Amino acid sequence: MIVRYLNVIAVAALIGSAAYAYSIKYETILHSAKIQKLKNANQKLRDHNSILEAEWAHLTRPARVQELADRHLKLQQLGLKQIVAFKDIPARPPKTDSIGRQLKLLGLAEPTNTPRTPSAATPATPGLRKEGARP
Amino acid sequence: MMQGDSAQDTGVQLPLDLPVTPGVQDAPTAQPAAPRQKMFSLASLMRTKIGKSGGRIKLVAVAFASLYLVIGGKLIYLGSKPNPETTHRQAAEATSRARPDILDREGRILATDLKINSVFAEPKRIVDKDEAIERLLGVLPDLDANDVRKKIMSRRGFVWIKRGVSPVEQKAVFRLGLPGIGFLPEHKRVYPNGRIGAHVLGATNIDNIGIAGFEKYIDGLGLGDLTGAGFRVTHANLKPIRLSLDVRATHALRDEVEKGLIKFKAKAGAAAIMDVQTGEIIALASLPDFDPNNPVDALENKNINRLSVGVFEMGSTFKALTLAMALDSGRVRLNSMVDARNTLRFGRQRIGDYHGKNRALTVAEVFTYSSNIATARLALMLGVKHHQDFLRKLGQLDRMRTELAESARPIVPRRWGEVNTATIAFGHGLAVAPLQSMMAVSALVNGGRLVKPSFLYNENGVAPDDAPQVLKPETSEQLRFIMRLNAEVGSARKIDVAGYFAGGKTGTANKVVNGRYSQNLVFTTFTAIAPSDKPKYLFLTLYDEPQGIAETHGFRTAAWNAGYVTGKIIERVSPILGLPPRGVYPEQPFPMVARSGLGLPSNGRKWR
Repeated sequence: MIVRYLNVIAVAALIGSAAYAYSIKYETILHSAKIQKLKNANQKLRDHNSILEAEWAHLTRPARVQELADRHLKLQQLGLKQIVAFKDIPARPPKTDSIGRQLKLLGLAEPTNTPRTPSAATPATPGLRKEGARP
Repeated sequence: MMQGDSAQDTGVQLPLDLPVTPGVQDAPTAQPAAPRQKMFSLASLMRTKIGKSGGRIKLVAVAFASLYLVIGGKLIYLGSKPNPETTHRQAAEATSRARPDILDREGRILATDLKINSVFAEPKRIVDKDEAIERLLGVLPDLDANDVRKKIMSRRGFVWIKRGVSPVEQKAVFRLGLPGIGFLPEHKRVYPNGRIGAHVLGATNIDNIGIAGFEKYIDGLGLGDLTGAGFRVTHANLKPIRLSLDVRATHALRDEVEKGLIKFKAKAGAAAIMDVQTGEIIALASLPDFDPNNPVDALENKNINRLSVGVFEMGSTFKALTLAMALDSGRVRLNSMVDARNTLRFGRQRIGDYHGKNRALTVAEVFTYSSNIATARLALMLGVKHHQDFLRKLGQLDRMRTELAESARPIVPRRWGEVNTATIAFGHGLAVAPLQSMMAVSALVNGGRLVKPSFLYNENGVAPDDAPQVLKPETSEQLRFIMRLNAEVGSARKIDVAGYFAGGKTGTANKVVNGRYSQNLVFTTFTAIAPSDKPKYLFLTLYDEPQGIAETHGFRTAAWNAGYVTGKIIERVSPILGLPPRGVYPEQPFPMVARSGLGLPSNGRKWR
């Protein structure tokens, strides 16, 4: 009796394992086909890349660049006097306040005393004794 | 053993060891006694003996179990090994290159492969030949009609219609829908820079096999063997090869040589730049040249690489070698006096000076005044054998082989006597390839090591370890000094470009025509080094049969044509190669020479 059940189970296991094995096989076939497609696409990209590299090298070849430079740019031969070494550049002069010096010469160096409320009593600009008079 | 079966019905004979039913045994049998015995021996194997079945079943079970064990074991083994690449799989990976790329020293492309389609036809399979011919000629108009007709009308199995069609043409042919016409992908070698570096790169034929130059060298490295044996070369084998050439410098060089060729109406011209420390050839141009994209005339005689395949008498450039030999021997110094008053006589031959001074000269003056007499005397002082050994040490007497397939053997006199020594001392009588003389001069100026010229990129940036020391470093410094002196006060003034501290030597040789020295045809060379205190580059320019023009006052000596062009080359190419001009003269450029009391006029020091 139990042998009969075992037989049935054994047959079911056999069919099940066959199904499993074949499913793996077909899955593998599917994956390998996908891989082949990807490889082909990859190869196409590489071919395209090499064509572009060759075209770039052709477009930037020195003969063409020279011709274009002669036509569009006004370049001249580098002269020796155009090259200055870093150590030959003079150092910066000390910082001076040239605008302040000019104001001092004009007598405008002192700060102004502009009143908050306007009144015509005292002139706001120092050094102005009379209207229109210059120190 | 089922119940209800009788031995007769099933034809089964009961084994002898079991009790026999009396009824069966007595039943009449038609079989006589003898065949019964035969059946027993032959057919006994086919009959199930229940008693022995147990053993047989076990045997069969063991056999099957072992078979499945073997299969299982092989499966485990294959599963555990990493994927082996079989040629089967490689055939599916089509490569986009069949030859390695060739790059210049910065990595720019000099030669590469392109995948293109080629149209073929199988005339046996073409149904309507006339229609096929008409349609094809309509789509590919640049084909020869008679050629196509002959090919398709023939009974061959396979013919090429057109090798290398553009994608537009391929689509058009495809749309025709003709049976028997198909496409095959092929590799075409393209050289994007055109004629730049043509002689170095060489060329390939329609089957992508190298026929000249570096392409042939690549084939010789093993690529040719692989493809010849039918193996597919994989991407990994095709790493790009880096040359020592710099494509911008080569273009500038070629441009200047071409301008000079036209200006001086010469028959041919060539130039090269070599790194004196490593021996790398940075730029090389030889005119007339060919276009590697269309190498129909690559192997013609007039388009040879004059620097490595042509042999010429180098003229006064060899004086540098002779003086180096004399100084290295220790028997003369730079301020030793040499008699240059009278012409030398060897039987009927005489050796004289061009613009001779007719007085005794110092060794330094011998170089700057380029005196043949004095140089011959120096060589004769050292002797024929010493001279020969020195030249052999510098590699001037043997064929020099580089990576290029083409090389030339120097023309050495069969019998070498004193007159030969005297003439070879100033460069007449021994014909070498100009690249060979560049190797010798670079040994003279780089501290005394003989470095072979090479077209491959040198990653280390220093000379190879096996470069022999052929001169003393002091001699090298003396040679650099006299080359710089020549540029300041001698015949090499044309190359004294401001800021480069260059030095050089002219060389004008009369060409040999019908076995005699011609008075009208010259071969001019100019060798220059820059900068002279620590030389980085050696420049060589040569012209074959240049003429005097109005600008050169009718002179056709080397200084006027080769020297002029070399000056232009130094000025134009040095910034490209990273050699900047210097604003001030170097402090102590030649310390060992200064100790002997000699200096350059530019330094403000006196010299005799």
